[in-house]
Amino acid sequence: MRLSAGRRTALLGCGGALLGAGAGARVAAAQEVAPGIHVLPGLHEDASPTNENAIANVGFIVGGAAVAVVDPGGSLAHGQRLRRVVEAVTTLPIRYLVLTHAHPDHAMGAAAFADLRPEVIGHVRLPEALAQRRDGYHRMLEREMGAAAAAGSDALPPTRLVENRLDLDLGGGRALAIAAHAPAHTDADLSLFDPATSTLWLSDLLFVERIPSLDGSLSGWLRELGALRGQRAARAVPGHGPAAVPWPEAAAALTGYLEALRDGTRAAIAAGLGIAEVPSRVALAEASHWRLAENYHGRNVSTAYRELEWE
Amino acid sequence: MARSVPRRPLLVAGALGAAPLLAPGTGRTQGIEPAEAPRRAERWRDLKAAIFDGRSTEPAGEALTLVAPSRALDAAAVPISLSLSPEAVPLVRAIHLVIDENPAPVAAVFRAGPAGDLRALTARVRVDAYTFMHAVAEFEDGRLLETAQFVKAAGGCSAPVGTDLRAARERMGRMRMTLPEGPPNGPDRPVPVQVAVSHPNTSGLQIDQLSRLSIPAEFVRALRVLYRDAEVLRVACDISISENPTFGFALAGEPGGELRVEAEDNRDRRFASAWTVGNTG
Repeated sequence: MRLSAGRRTALLGCGGALLGAGAGARVAAAQEVAPGIHVLPGLHEDASPTNENAIANVGFIVGGAAVAVVDPGGSLAHGQRLRRVVEAVTTLPIRYLVLTHAHPDHAMGAAAFADLRPEVIGHVRLPEALAQRRDGYHRMLEREMGAAAAAGSDALPPTRLVENRLDLDLGGGRALAIAAHAPAHTDADLSLFDPATSTLWLSDLLFVERIPSLDGSLSGWLRELGALRGQRAARAVPGHGPAAVPWPEAAAALTGYLEALRDGTRAAIAAGLGIAEVPSRVALAEASHWRLAENYHGRNVSTAYRELEWE
Repeated sequence: MARSVPRRPLLVAGALGAAPLLAPGTGRTQGIEPAEAPRRAERWRDLKAAIFDGRSTEPAGEALTLVAPSRALDAAAVPISLSLSPEAVPLVRAIHLVIDENPAPVAAVFRAGPAGDLRALTARVRVDAYTFMHAVAEFEDGRLLETAQFVKAAGGCSAPVGTDLRAARERMGRMRMTLPEGPPNGPDRPVPVQVAVSHPNTSGLQIDQLSRLSIPAEFVRALRVLYRDAEVLRVACDISISENPTFGFALAGEPGGELRVEAEDNRDRRFASAWTVGNTG
C-alpha cells in the first residue's frame, strides 16, 4: 500500500505518535543520520518491565529495492516498534535482518519480523553463540522484564553467514559491505559500511556514553578498533550512545578505556593479585566517565583478568 | 514451536552424582525467589540426603568458612574461597562444594593428600541461578559440618565457553602455576599456590535442529597436585567449575622441589605439567 507523500510526512513529522507507551514514550524518535540510514537510539538502562529492553541502538537501511534491518531490537515489543517505523518510512520489503552479534538487546527483537521470512545475516560464529546462550537469554529477559513483557521475544537463526565479508545489494546503487571481525566485543561481531553515504555502522564494536561490555577478547577488540580507525567514514553508528558520531574521533574514549583495562589488569596480575581483588582496583578513574559503570566495569575487569592471565 | 537445545542427560546427572534431584530449569521462578523461600531449604535437605547418604550435618561455626560474593560480577566465573580454622585443619580430609540450583550441583570435592591439607582453598565456579552455595567439611571422626552463602548470579552455565571454542581447544591442557607469595619455605610455613588448566570445561550442546550444531561435552573431572612426589591435593569436579579450571591451595614444604599437576577430562585425556618451585637464595 503506497502512502501518499503527505501522509508519510505527517507520520514522520510526529514521530512520537508512532511510538507505543512505556519505552516508546521515553526514547528519542528514529533519526535519519544519513539519507536512507535510520537509527532508533536505545536507553542507557538494563532490561526492565517498562523499557522493552530497548537499550541498544537499532535501525534500518533503505535501498532502491529492499530494506535491511540492522539489529532487530531487545524484545518482541521493541522489534515491533522498529518495524512500525520502517513501514511508516517506506513500503519497500524488509528482505534482510543483520544480527551484528548475539547479545539480547540487539537480537531478541528478531521474532517481530519472522513472518516476513527475511534473510538473517550473521557472523559465521553466530549460530554457535545463539545456541549456547538463547535459553539463558530467555530466562534473563523473563527475570528482568517479567514474563508478560518478555513473551515472544526471540532471535532468528541466521540463514547467511559471513566469514570475512559479504556485499549486500539493496538496489538503487546501495550496496552494503558487511565485515566479520575476529573476537572483539564478542566472538561473532559484524560491522557494516555504506559507501553511498560513507557511514560505518559499528554496533557494539563502538560504545559511546554507556560503559563498554567485554564479552569477547580485550586484545582483539583493541586490534579491531585499530584497523577500523583506518577506515574513512563520514560518521559511525555506535551500538550504544548517540545515533551517529564522528569517525574516527569517537573511537578515542573507548580505546582509552580498553587500554586502561588492559594495562591495569596486566599490572595487577604481575603484582600477584587474585581475581576477586582486582575489580575494585583496576581502571576505576577511567570507568567513572561511563554510564552504568557500577553494573559492568567490575565484570569487565574479571573478564580481562581471565584473558590476560594466560598471556 | 520450541527450538530448545537441552543439555545431555549425562550432564544433567552431573559427573559427581546426586542424579535424581536434578531438574534443570525447574521453574523459571528460580531466579527471583528470595533466600528465605522454603523451597530452597527443602532443596538443600534433599541434596544433602543424596550426597551424604542421609548422614546428618551440623553447622560449622568457625571451623569452616565459605566466602563468595553476595552479588557476583560474572556468573561464569564466581571466585570462592574456603578456609578451615587451625583446629580443624588436621581433622578435615575432604570438603564438598555444592551450588544448590546448578544443573550439576556438586561443583567440587577437595581431598587432602598425605603431604597437604585443606586449610585454604579457592576456586572459580559457574552459577546458573540465584542460589545457596554450601560447603561441607568431612571430619576424620565422621562428622559433617556445613556452612552456606547465598549468591546472586545467573546464567553462568548457559555460556559455557567464553570466547572462541576453537582457540580454547588449541590451548587445551596448557597449565599455569603461580606463587603469589613466593615458594614454600619450610614445613611450618604454608604459602598460597594457584594452578590452572586451560580447558573449555563445557557441558556442550546436543544437536540443535536448525543449525545442526553439536558441541561435545568436555570438562575436567579430576585434578591432582603433588609436591616432591607426594600427593598434596586431589579435586573431583565437573561443569560447575569455570572454563580454565583454576584452584588455589596452601603448600608447605622445603623449597626447591618439583610441583606436579595432573588433570584428566571426561574424554579420558590426560594433561600434566611440572615446575621446580624456587630455591633458597
